[in-house]
Amino acid sequence: MIEIIQLILDSPFLQRAIIASILIAIVAAASGTFMVFRGLSFMAAGVAHAALGGTALGIFLQDTGLVPWFNPILGALLFSVLVAVFTGYAGESGITQKMEVAVGVSFALSMSIAVFLMYYIPPYRVPQIWGYLIGDILLLNNLDVIMLASTAVLLGFITLMFNKEFVYVSVDMEGSVAHGMNARAYHYLMLIISALAIALATKAVGAILVYAVMVAPAAAANELVRSIRGIIFAVFAIALVAELVGLVASFVVFVSPSAIAGILAALSYLLALQIKRVRERVRVELDEVSIESQDVTMKQLITSVEHDDTHDH
Amino acid sequence: MASVPLLEADDLAVRYPNGELALHNVTFQIESPSFMAIIGPNGSGKSTLVKTFLGLIKPFKGHIKVNGYDSVKNSGKIRKIVRYVPQRDRIELTVPMKVKDIVLMGRLLKKLPPRFASSKDIQRAEEALEQVDMGDLWDRPFPELSGGQRQRVLVARALASEGSILVLDEPLAGTDVESQDLIVEALGRYHKENDVSIVMVTHDLNPIHTLVQDVLLLKNTVIGIGEPCTIMDPDLMKKVYGPTARIVEYSGHRYCMTRDSGIDRHD
Repeated sequence: MIEIIQLILDSPFLQRAIIASILIAIVAAASGTFMVFRGLSFMAAGVAHAALGGTALGIFLQDTGLVPWFNPILGALLFSVLVAVFTGYAGESGITQKMEVAVGVSFALSMSIAVFLMYYIPPYRVPQIWGYLIGDILLLNNLDVIMLASTAVLLGFITLMFNKEFVYVSVDMEGSVAHGMNARAYHYLMLIISALAIALATKAVGAILVYAVMVAPAAAANELVRSIRGIIFAVFAIALVAELVGLVASFVVFVSPSAIAGILAALSYLLALQIKRVRERVRVELDEVSIESQDVTMKQLITSVEHDDTHDH
Repeated sequence: MASVPLLEADDLAVRYPNGELALHNVTFQIESPSFMAIIGPNGSGKSTLVKTFLGLIKPFKGHIKVNGYDSVKNSGKIRKIVRYVPQRDRIELTVPMKVKDIVLMGRLLKKLPPRFASSKDIQRAEEALEQVDMGDLWDRPFPELSGGQRQRVLVARALASEGSILVLDEPLAGTDVESQDLIVEALGRYHKENDVSIVMVTHDLNPIHTLVQDVLLLKNTVIGIGEPCTIMDPDLMKKVYGPTARIVEYSGHRYCMTRDSGIDRHD
């Protein structure tokens, strides 16, 4: 135990990885939960790939000298916000399917833009575009951690402030508007802040880890836990455990920590489905037992009534 | 002093999202306070009319006023006085809401963030659930309830809330008889005991026949307006529901028999 602590204290990259794990788990709990509530589990992948298109645009603008100060990350953030706005616009009436379609379309559009621009930027910079998706939690620098931390804090704060509004928008958009809540504003706020968090998290730790913790833990918790607060905590716990186990595993065997975290997170969902099925089976059996016992008492009642009858006569 | 009308439509025309004309030449006036029903067959524009006067849809032509407030210019004021129960299938069941969360929504939506529930809010919510005989299910997960029970919870949400106009969109569609009776009873009682107006969209007037004061019969435009028994006219009904519609007289009231399911959506 002491050796491990010593190891962590001696290696700043490990400290950064652990801090990033906690921050990503916060992002998953705050954002992933509501994405799954809204049936938008595909959005994490959509936004990350949209950001890829934005990165390509940023590099193009920088390299051609059109806008030299334009950092590719700005392009990534811009595109992810555009996806959020587009998705939000499609879903203003509160219909999930339309939002999924919008995510799909913007995914395709931004990938096309990325590939289109790749022909116009010098080949040596093309890997930088793909590099946007391939982060590594063990290779973070201090700036990455600070960026990630500010996003996670902002996202956490907004979710803490407006979680009721986000829930109301997810449950009953129409009713919320009719009762005077500015549902549209919260609808966009939720999507935009999530998109920004997904884009920055992807840049920092890589697409695989972001997909892994954004969707599966929330889906797993949603199958088993029956309160919103409970789900948020469960998502945080599942995501954090998956990430930390991934980190530890990467020291024991030669393996990517993100891959292990992704596999564990996905397994958590499969496990949750299985537990739910067993639970339901038990409940059905219990119901049958209680019906049988009711039958028994009915029979007893009937026989006792019959007894009374014979006494009367 | 003449009171402001509850609803006042002037040459209103509204389109469905797909561009089709849902309502046209709609002009009518309903005095306040009232227990009114908006009836008509599937696709006759009942829900569209409600969404229009709540400001959820903009009219294509003309305008409609609620308590004197224009649905476009003063939608904020309308929403302060309205409590709305949407069609039941509009409520997403993916979020693990408890029954209490849904009912408290009616009160918290009228507050500002962070919308904490006070003990008064909780008390009102509990009382509202009692009204529809759901008091015991306070902590139950909403998605696990039956359709009729969910509908009762939604009605309780409206009863718990505040505002002088209750608007309910098909609260009786696809519910069991017990739930129907409980909902109708609760609404009738609430209307009698409080100074509120109730606007109810329904495909079936019969369960609330004896409670309502005004009926608006729609088939994309106003076909008839008046008391329930005037509207239950064989010719009017055949015009709207087709030749299979029958009028039945029972204990001094007229009832209409149609083959309407009451389920329609236009997205």
